[in-house]
Amino acid sequence: MRKVFDDYRVLSDETLKPDEPRVEKFLQAMKKSLQQRDNWTFWLPYTLSLDTCMKCGTCAEVCPVYLASGKKDIYHPVYRSDMLRKVYKRYFTLPGRIFPGLVGAEDLTEEKLNAMAENIYRCTICRRCAYVCPVAIDNGVIAREARKIFDAIDIAPDELKKNGTQKQAKFGNATGTPANAFFDMIEFLEEEIEDTKGYKVKIPVDKEGAEYLLMHNAGDYLAFAETVMGAAEVMDAAGVDWTLNSPATGINDAVNYGVFYSDVEFTTIIKAHVETARKLGIKTLVVGECGHAFEALKYLMLRLIPPEERPFEVKSILELEDEWIREGRIKVDPEKNPEPVTYHDSCKLGRLGGMYEEPRRILKACCTDFRELTPNREMSICCGGGSGFAIMEKGDFRKFRMETYGKLKAEQLKASGASIIALACSNCKGQFREIINYYQLPVRFAGVSELVANALVR
Amino acid sequence: MNFWQSFIGGVLPYVSIAILVLGLGYKVAYWYNAPANLHWELFPYPRTLGGQLGELVTEVFTLRSLFHHNRKLWFPSLVMHWGIYLVVFWLFFLLLGAPFAIYLGVAGGVLALTGSCLLLLFRLFAAELRQISAPVEYLNLLFIFLVALAALASGALSDFAFRSYFISLLTLKPHLPLPGSYLIFLLLLWLFMIYIPFTRMAHFAVKYFTYHKVKWGEIE
Repeated sequence: MRKVFDDYRVLSDETLKPDEPRVEKFLQAMKKSLQQRDNWTFWLPYTLSLDTCMKCGTCAEVCPVYLASGKKDIYHPVYRSDMLRKVYKRYFTLPGRIFPGLVGAEDLTEEKLNAMAENIYRCTICRRCAYVCPVAIDNGVIAREARKIFDAIDIAPDELKKNGTQKQAKFGNATGTPANAFFDMIEFLEEEIEDTKGYKVKIPVDKEGAEYLLMHNAGDYLAFAETVMGAAEVMDAAGVDWTLNSPATGINDAVNYGVFYSDVEFTTIIKAHVETARKLGIKTLVVGECGHAFEALKYLMLRLIPPEERPFEVKSILELEDEWIREGRIKVDPEKNPEPVTYHDSCKLGRLGGMYEEPRRILKACCTDFRELTPNREMSICCGGGSGFAIMEKGDFRKFRMETYGKLKAEQLKASGASIIALACSNCKGQFREIINYYQLPVRFAGVSELVANALVR
Repeated sequence: MNFWQSFIGGVLPYVSIAILVLGLGYKVAYWYNAPANLHWELFPYPRTLGGQLGELVTEVFTLRSLFHHNRKLWFPSLVMHWGIYLVVFWLFFLLLGAPFAIYLGVAGGVLALTGSCLLLLFRLFAAELRQISAPVEYLNLLFIFLVALAALASGALSDFAFRSYFISLLTLKPHLPLPGSYLIFLLLLWLFMIYIPFTRMAHFAVKYFTYHKVKWGEIE
């Protein structure tokens, strides 16, 4: 694949079609994105951010990619936003049409389009920059809107679309796991718990009318089974009426990659989530350890699906674990996790989800030596797995993830002195798995639920 | 009375005020009528009116975000913003007839001049800022610098008698003629006011939406 922006390529030639004319189609799609009616979901933050950046560069002072790259100008958050902003000014504003040179408006060329398509996938939309911006301008929303425009002209990473939302809509999960394989997997997990812990846990599946439907990121069953088993042990120990669901009931994967690149895809998936929960007649949809799924189901869904059409509550598994530990519904012994443990705030759970204290209370109750990463909470540094980056490998992209976000995170982790990094997001787990290998860190990662299960007193 | 006296002293003030008010009003209405976007808040954020006002006032008067995250720009930016605030206070107290208004005016002019000059130099010579700046960024700062310079050089800010001119504007019977140096200051000031609604210098009005409607949201 030829170079179109930097040394990496997220979009294959088949997807990007770098030598075909696409500018006209892009401008048409962009015009639509600027219409209130056609893009009501994000029109306000999008147009505010296009119009009002003061170019003070405060965003760059906290951007993990820009800082870790040694402040390369192409990774400056404003450079990225300006790729779209210059087009906006040139084609959609009066000053930009009359005085393009003065206001920084530029014609869009096929080459610039190629570069923009790649650069918008160098930002995980962690929104650390938006948090510190004096005017609350959001480079993240601009990157996401640009992704939406590209998706509208059929340019989106395969990992997110073809093998992501489209696969999930078709099979019920983005891993493409059919129902029979899912049931086999559950049986295996039950045996695994018995083998490793010495007690039996029955994992209910497809139970109708349950109090809690626990929906994991389906990738967790394959890649982070300890988290799935841990959550099952916790649910079992709490003695609550709960269930998992198989693809036979609809969607059994909490992910929604539409969050990263498309409102259309996002809506399709979220509606399928709601339909599945309604069909099962559950009272609370519990989102497993998946950051963006929590953001989608807890917040993004609210103005999209009317309340009467979603007759269930949405909670994170962290909220339940925290609640049950505090009320004594489950008993935990911190001595069972004696190693130094730290916690990484997933951007989607933290800055975008407000879930700061729950994981900390849980870990302090379940571990003897909990320590913070610095900085943390709202100033937490994105690990680089967000936006689905954790599952993007081609075009040497893993190296990009490791040498930018990953580098900062590895330094933070080393400084903490912890030997376990607790995580509550699948993308973070995928990224940390590789950070630990890449930087040869004497650390292991663990799901929060895994640590809770390990501390259970039964 | 010559044309420039009438135009700058008697016509342009009304034109500029009308454009400023209508332009900002249009902008505010434009954003205000926007459909509610999907929840896109950033946590934590203040949940009470008192908390939100507290954060707003702190940000406006101390530029806390710059202080914490972009310290090199904080001081010049604070100086320029306080200069502008003091000039607004100058006009307010001058109209009320408070003699100390002239001290506010001069202090405001000096701070606005210094702050805009420092910011202009930063933007010209700091590579990180230069690389993200279009010519309009320099023009905006230069405009503020020139208005402040003309205001100070004319002596208008320290002239309590200047009050009668502003009062006469309010009664729609402008007292003219004015000294020539005042006309230069006023011309720049009126043009600046006309310019504001078309630029991102209207961010003081836009901030309500970026903070209250988006960053802080409205949790149902």
